[in-house]
Amino acid sequence: MEKKQSGSPPSLIDSTVVPGDVVLDLSSMTNQTIMLGGGLRQDCDAISVMKAGTLRFSKPNKYWVESSQKRYTPCVEDTVLGIVVDSKADNFLIDIKGPVLAFLPVLAFEGGTRRNIPKFEVGTLLYLRVVKANFGMNPELSCTDASGKAAEFGPLKDGYMFETSTGLSRKLLSSPTCPVLEALGKKLSFEIAVGLNGRVWVNAATPDTIVVVANAIMNSESLSGAQQIIMVEHLLKNIQ
Amino acid sequence: MEGRLANAWRLTANDKSFIRTALLSEIRIDGRKPYEYRKIVVKFGREDGSSEVQLGQTRVMGIVTAQLVQPYRDRPKEGILSIFTEVSPMADPSFEPGHPGELAVELGRIIDRGLRESKAVDTESLCVLAGKFVWAIRIDLHILDNGGNLVDAANIAALAALLTFRRPECSLGGEDGQEVIVHPPEIREPLPLIVHHLPIAITFGFFSNDSILVIDPTHNEEAVMGGRMTTTVNANGDICAIQKAGGEGVPQRVIMQCLQLATAKAAGITKQIKEAVEVYNTERALRKIKRHPTSTGVNVKERQDQSVGRNTSTSKSNDVGTWKLKVEINIPEVGERDRPDALLNCIKLHYYDSLNTLPSTIEAITMVGWMRWDRVLTVEITKLLDDYVSSTRSVVNMPNHMFYMCRDPITGHVARSRYG
Repeated sequence: MEKKQSGSPPSLIDSTVVPGDVVLDLSSMTNQTIMLGGGLRQDCDAISVMKAGTLRFSKPNKYWVESSQKRYTPCVEDTVLGIVVDSKADNFLIDIKGPVLAFLPVLAFEGGTRRNIPKFEVGTLLYLRVVKANFGMNPELSCTDASGKAAEFGPLKDGYMFETSTGLSRKLLSSPTCPVLEALGKKLSFEIAVGLNGRVWVNAATPDTIVVVANAIMNSESLSGAQQIIMVEHLLKNIQ
Repeated sequence: MEGRLANAWRLTANDKSFIRTALLSEIRIDGRKPYEYRKIVVKFGREDGSSEVQLGQTRVMGIVTAQLVQPYRDRPKEGILSIFTEVSPMADPSFEPGHPGELAVELGRIIDRGLRESKAVDTESLCVLAGKFVWAIRIDLHILDNGGNLVDAANIAALAALLTFRRPECSLGGEDGQEVIVHPPEIREPLPLIVHHLPIAITFGFFSNDSILVIDPTHNEEAVMGGRMTTTVNANGDICAIQKAGGEGVPQRVIMQCLQLATAKAAGITKQIKEAVEVYNTERALRKIKRHPTSTGVNVKERQDQSVGRNTSTSKSNDVGTWKLKVEINIPEVGERDRPDALLNCIKLHYYDSLNTLPSTIEAITMVGWMRWDRVLTVEITKLLDDYVSSTRSVVNMPNHMFYMCRDPITGHVARSRYG
């Protein structure tokens, strides 16, 4: 039965899947390389689902399952917001809301050498990239992009960080821009960093702007696009 | 060690400084003013004496149970009230399973002190047989989610659960009158507890050096603030308890200010709890009504019974040959049931006699007085009434002069009928 269903894999894309569903049959798609993201695993020729969510596909060959959780499961190439918990000789220990702490090697900075190791206090907020996320190992992070440039990565100063579900943070990063951010951006100027691990950092000139933006984002989780815009307008009316 | 570290809840340096700077301009991270309380939602379970309180993100469940026990020797005539807190790691990863932490103990103690030592619950009325049997009331407080200010939320949950709790009625029986009979709720309506007043806990947070005072601190603010104080006051302004653990010192002036704020808040919260309990009590009473499946506001029933005619013809008071009776029951709308004449208007008996076919409408109350109801008919009508009358006794505020009847559950006879 399942084999027949999996004969038409495109039908499952963007639909809800549950653990145990076979989404792809590799025997029917030879000479292809595919990349598996979170929530999928390979059993011989069958690609089966490991968590409930929506199956996503991005060209040319990446498949993953998207869901909304409180806890983050690290995945390679995700950008995350981490909090420094401890610093060791070789690594910083970073909390990224995952099941275990992540390692940030002290050399994983642009032009990082033994001599210019940065000093981070416990509680520093960092914008990071997941480099390794292997089973049974602590995930490894980096403060550079794939080409070794600092890009936007590094510590975030001031502002306010709050936690959301992973689903909401993914929505905030989606394009076209999430309606709540679009509506807020028309009236207010603020800086935002969204980690896929369900952490959002907001900075603005005045504290009340930060509070409005943070609350608008937190409230938007269960609202539709139109509702989000109404909610933001309502909030902005209250502060003016 | 690492596993525990990964679970420990932590706040970034950014958040710590932001909470402080925002408070300097009287802004809190959830958009409140410093003296603003979060929204309270009080819900009740289907069982009596279970409540769930939501205070912002904080959620606490309260459950009250009772047991007959032997009283303490020094207080043979007093019931026992005890409070237990359950703090699981589900609510907050920093709570450890198994042994209760410092917070859980303090939480239980504050609520215990507020409730017990202010004698909010009348324990003497819980005595069944002095020295032998008293009711031991146990309040279990389960912390479901820690969003800050657990004390206040748990206190409200305890009060809401106490107010809706009902203990079985019991009486003394047996040969020597020393035997306790506990009546099941189907036979005798369980009794609510006597709660004299509602001690409301209000927690304040103090932020060091800036001399900032906030009410109802959230989880994040609790991590930053230097000290806390919980005042337990009731709506009358009586101070039941004050808890000020270590941390920052607070001048007397600030404590007086806190007490004033707390009294004002307590009045509002008391009102809110009472309203919620009222709604629950009404719902609880309505739940007992057995409705006809088709009843939608107006319920018209027709009974034409020829045997009525036969029987009435034998009674001497009537020279009428045949009776036709039409019973019309209009079950009033929910909102109108509280009116004193609700029952009066809901039942109408149209009767026709064989000579005069014009229907005359007579209210049930007068009809019962002079009309000898045939046994069969009485049962029929009683049955119709029964669904309404016996089930709404607690809802309709029935003055004594009004007629009402209910069927004896065993014999099936009309047990009580004022004019019958």
